[in-house]
Amino acid sequence: MPMRTLVMTIMLFLVGAALAWFIWAPPRPWTAAELITLQSLALEQLQAEPKDSTNRVFKNPEAQKFGYQLFFDTRLSRNGAIACASCHQPGARFADNLPLSAAISTTKRNTPSIVGVAYSPWFYWDGRKDSLWSQALAPLEDPGEHGGNRLQYVHLIAEDPTYRNTYEAIFGPFPSLKGFPRHAGPVANPKWRAAWQALTPEQRHTVNRVFSNIGKAIAAYEGLLVPGESRFDKYVKTLVDYDERAANEILDTAERRGLKLFIGQGNCTQCHNGPLFSNNAFHNTGLLSRPMTLPDVGRAAGLRVALDDPFNCLGAYSDDPVKCDELRFANTGPELVGSMRTASLRNVIGTAPYSHSGQQTDLRAVLEQYNQAPDAMIGHNESKPLDLWPWQISDLEAFLKTLNAPIAAAPEWLRPPGGG
Amino acid sequence: MNFRSISLPLDSLCSSLLPLLRHGLFRLLLVVVGTSLPLTVSAHGGVVLEDDICFIKVGFYEAHFTIFQPRSQGHEQFCEDLPDLGESVFVLEYLHDGLEDLMVDFRIIRNTTGMGLFASAEDLEKVEDWDAITEFYKPPVQEPDVVAVLHQFDEPGAFIGVVTATDPASDASYVAVFPFEVGYFGVNYPLIAFSSVFLTLSAFILLGMRQRRRASRIAMGITPLVMAACLLPTAALGAVAPTYHVKGDFFHISATPEVESLDINRMHKWRIILTDRQGKAVSGASIEIEGGMPEHDHGLATNPRMTAERAPGEYLIEGMKFHMNGHWEIVLSIRTPAAREVVKFDLTI
Repeated sequence: MPMRTLVMTIMLFLVGAALAWFIWAPPRPWTAAELITLQSLALEQLQAEPKDSTNRVFKNPEAQKFGYQLFFDTRLSRNGAIACASCHQPGARFADNLPLSAAISTTKRNTPSIVGVAYSPWFYWDGRKDSLWSQALAPLEDPGEHGGNRLQYVHLIAEDPTYRNTYEAIFGPFPSLKGFPRHAGPVANPKWRAAWQALTPEQRHTVNRVFSNIGKAIAAYEGLLVPGESRFDKYVKTLVDYDERAANEILDTAERRGLKLFIGQGNCTQCHNGPLFSNNAFHNTGLLSRPMTLPDVGRAAGLRVALDDPFNCLGAYSDDPVKCDELRFANTGPELVGSMRTASLRNVIGTAPYSHSGQQTDLRAVLEQYNQAPDAMIGHNESKPLDLWPWQISDLEAFLKTLNAPIAAAPEWLRPPGGG
Repeated sequence: MNFRSISLPLDSLCSSLLPLLRHGLFRLLLVVVGTSLPLTVSAHGGVVLEDDICFIKVGFYEAHFTIFQPRSQGHEQFCEDLPDLGESVFVLEYLHDGLEDLMVDFRIIRNTTGMGLFASAEDLEKVEDWDAITEFYKPPVQEPDVVAVLHQFDEPGAFIGVVTATDPASDASYVAVFPFEVGYFGVNYPLIAFSSVFLTLSAFILLGMRQRRRASRIAMGITPLVMAACLLPTAALGAVAPTYHVKGDFFHISATPEVESLDINRMHKWRIILTDRQGKAVSGASIEIEGGMPEHDHGLATNPRMTAERAPGEYLIEGMKFHMNGHWEIVLSIRTPAAREVVKFDLTI
């Protein structure tokens, strides 16, 4: 009898040890191909600074400062209470941690973080804007966001002596607004809309010019908000310096196992690739719609808006309406139905809830969705089931936490003007 | 519209198992569970289930048709009868045959025809007061991609969906009628539950076997790492994007990306050299280019085009951009007054 007990105990121990090894063992050493992938994800691969040739003041320090003031200015709204920073809060990684953006009213989409967004060729979840400056204009006139109209904002710049001087230093003489009404814009409000239609084409052009310059200044500021070095980046840097022992001090075993899954079995780098962990393209990942809302057609509608937009790359207010390859060669196929822009994973931990309308409350929910890859409500889910074990999902989650880093901008850009 | 359901329970069972059917593994297991379950089932009215895909036929137009109950049933797809009350989303996806040019309206009425699930368009001709029996109505709109409607069912019952498509040019209109029931399931629950448990268990065992992995080694020698790291700069310096040569029946094609290396997420151009089989340059051709990832059922992120013939037989393609690593298939359609040819080649990024 004691012999049998002993054998049983040893057997149990061996099985337990094998299982534990199976789950908790350190990952295999990186292959040459894997090392190349790791390097392609590191922050060092990011072009030094974002560029935008359609915005000639994008790198202009005066414009950056002007944009910084505008970004935090609540006078750029219908009710004097909403600024860009109301939803893109510096303390919340320039997002708001809400499922849906809430300004004048609640919108139908989640506020994305704008850290590093300046590197993208497309903006908004559905890619309905093709430049950062043009994107900055739309919320100002959206009735649910800032809720105002473009002529109101033009008057604001004209009548604030500091703004007016700054504007003229950057963009040249401010146009005369003699004979213009107080409010006008091609917006939902019927009175403002009628006033807009009553303006002559030249008057509208005058307003549009100043309005687009407001967007260009805001974009110049947003271009400063780039991600800093994360633990993952330090790991890769140390690894390629041939110091694996030191590298392993930076990421623990679970995080390295997660990284291995991220670039391997998890197929994550199919879309979350490059140093921002996003290909900035559009994909349908089969999410359920929010309660009592229809599934969102996403890019299928967004691209049509972008092509029709007077403020797009080819439009009269673009400073480089020549190349515009992204717009000219944009894909219009039916596979765009239900697709949304791939979100960057840098700082993903601080930006819950996730996805275009905040349907996913935490990272686990996101990972489970990819693990199952269920059928999409509209269009088709491009992802395929991953068949990962629960502990593998925990490893992926552990890895994603290593992508957090402070914003690589001077601290004075990250707090409201006047030290508020 | 001539498709009639033979028996309701069979239909209901099949629509409940639809998502499972899509999974190849489960499909295989289904054969094991019982060959009595048919994989092709016809349904009532204008909605038809063929293999595991649900269609709606509006006149001679066809669209994919699915109903979701996202709150109670998640991603489960239904073709017609709905198990639960509450939020239900009806989705019509065009098969790109012209339906997108039509005005489409969507109506759900209570089924008062007395014909139950066999109600047809003719039975609805007797209806006098549509408003009195209308449960939901979405006025006509022209939708370019997909028609989706959402209705909250508060009580179980028998309903009829009426989809009308009107051609604004000719004023001709086409109707699809599909009777369905809401909140009446239950008959099949024991069977469904049994099948699900059986399938899940079997899948678990099979998947577990598939997932068996060798345990990783501790010995993480620094040597392979050093070797790999040494290879990196070489790989980066020596990289030149390859040229792809294809020999067709009429043309010989050499396609070269005009970049030092073929990377993802970069807009770039391609140079295409076109000759005939004797190696003589072919001028004045038009070339269409398409690309896609067969494993992911999607195309390029962009819509590239031939924009110039830079020299006789040398063509410029602009707007190329790959947004994923992996296996891509490129298709070139070449056309000259004399010949027309489609060639394909593969590349891996």
